[in-house]
Amino acid sequence: MKGLIIKDLINMSKSIKIVLALAVFYGVMAFSTENPSGFASIILLVLAMSMLSTYTYDEMANWDIYALTLPISRDNIIQAKYIFMIIISLLGFILNGLTLILINWLTKASGVFDGLVYVAYGTAIVIWFYSIIIPVITKVGITKARLYIVLFYTIPFLSGTFIFKQIKKLQPEPPEGLVKFLEILIRNVDTIIPILTIVLLGISYYISVMIYRKKQF
Amino acid sequence: MVANTQKNAIEVDNITIRYDDFTLDKVSFNVPSGSIMGFVGENGAGKTTTIKAILDLIRTEEGSIRIWGKPSKNLHKDLKAMIGVVFDGSNLHENLTVDNVNFIMSDIYPNWRPKVFYNYVEKLKLPKNKKFKEFSRGMKMKLSIAIALSHDSKLLILDEATSGLDPMIRDEILDIFMEFIQDEEHTIFFSTHIISDIEKIADYVTFIHDGKIVFSESKDELIYNHGIIPCRKEDVQKIDKRFIVGTRQSNYGAEVMIRNVDEFKRKNREFIPERTSIEEIMLYISRGKESV
Repeated sequence: MKGLIIKDLINMSKSIKIVLALAVFYGVMAFSTENPSGFASIILLVLAMSMLSTYTYDEMANWDIYALTLPISRDNIIQAKYIFMIIISLLGFILNGLTLILINWLTKASGVFDGLVYVAYGTAIVIWFYSIIIPVITKVGITKARLYIVLFYTIPFLSGTFIFKQIKKLQPEPPEGLVKFLEILIRNVDTIIPILTIVLLGISYYISVMIYRKKQF
Repeated sequence: MVANTQKNAIEVDNITIRYDDFTLDKVSFNVPSGSIMGFVGENGAGKTTTIKAILDLIRTEEGSIRIWGKPSKNLHKDLKAMIGVVFDGSNLHENLTVDNVNFIMSDIYPNWRPKVFYNYVEKLKLPKNKKFKEFSRGMKMKLSIAIALSHDSKLLILDEATSGLDPMIRDEILDIFMEFIQDEEHTIFFSTHIISDIEKIADYVTFIHDGKIVFSESKDELIYNHGIIPCRKEDVQKIDKRFIVGTRQSNYGAEVMIRNVDEFKRKNREFIPERTSIEEIMLYISRGKESV
């Protein structure tokens, strides 16, 4: 299974120049504006794209059909993707964390710890994104999944915005119950996010394994 | 070791797979250990489907497949590590180099032999630093074969590995297979539609036509048991139909393919069957039948 992760890392490393160029460019931007959030978003986005590109490489090479003849199980192939995804997410966290620390150190700003917490939240959200999309890719392949990615993330966002506006017109003040619920969520965000991440990851992995075990090639 | 003790490396028993437009129909054959079996048939006959079923890439609706006596479904990793597989076309990522492949495979195969791999790379004149996308089709196939041979494989399963290659490279690859099979524990099962490859290296031939196995026999016996009788058109009627495999007629006369040549010779002194080839036998069986 280690070989599968190495394969993805080698493939990803081939596009590392682009990642590094973007990191330097947005790093300079972050430093000049003293605002690392833009940099963090770009790094997370680029890494997310790198993760998806490993699926593209696999599909282009028709890799899975060959991989299944190697001394590895179907479950191993899925496990390798999830481990790789966690490595990528941690890499994003480390890169963003280091940039934040560097900017704070250079600008002598305070609040490094708070910043790192936000970076961790961002990383968790990236893991949620992967957790939703990996079972979809496993089921339909990356080419079709790209379309679903767009649908999954734009339709709920656009329709949510529209519905929210309509509700706001009808009821300018949010209901008290909802406000209280959100307050509880915010107060316990440090507990909720890690638990939600682990639960989502677990469900996502289980679904992907089930899909892949039945997949025909 | 399991692989050594089994009479057959692969046993395919009565497998059926149905698609909307194609059915692999009750396919059965055995690949004897220590032999080369050519799996031949026209495009779309069911060769790749059968190989995919053997490799547990697709589900079978009926029947069973055993590799070294073990069900091919969820075959143990130790046994999978002894099987080298090469598909038509390359399945390696375009960005990779020979060194990358060695690095990756050494972490996948517990029995990976880097020295053997690089020996093949040298022998097959494969560039070490070029990316895979810069390789020609022949080079890609040679690299895939080098991988398949670099982990103490005892069974090679090849799906159209020599198709689309020029005769020189094909010959080079067939020589490698011949070298591999010198070890009596080794077995090769390869599909192809190039009959000359079968004639050159196969011990056994399995012929699939329209999703059904037409025959699965020793190549020598097949050639020995069949013969061609060149005769006049009007003489065709005189030949006992039980022996006829197929007939081909032209303006100049007819040619009749017969089976059980020895028995035929004992019973018919009038006609003298001539030696035939695998290609002829298959052509007569797949086409000639209709004209009998």
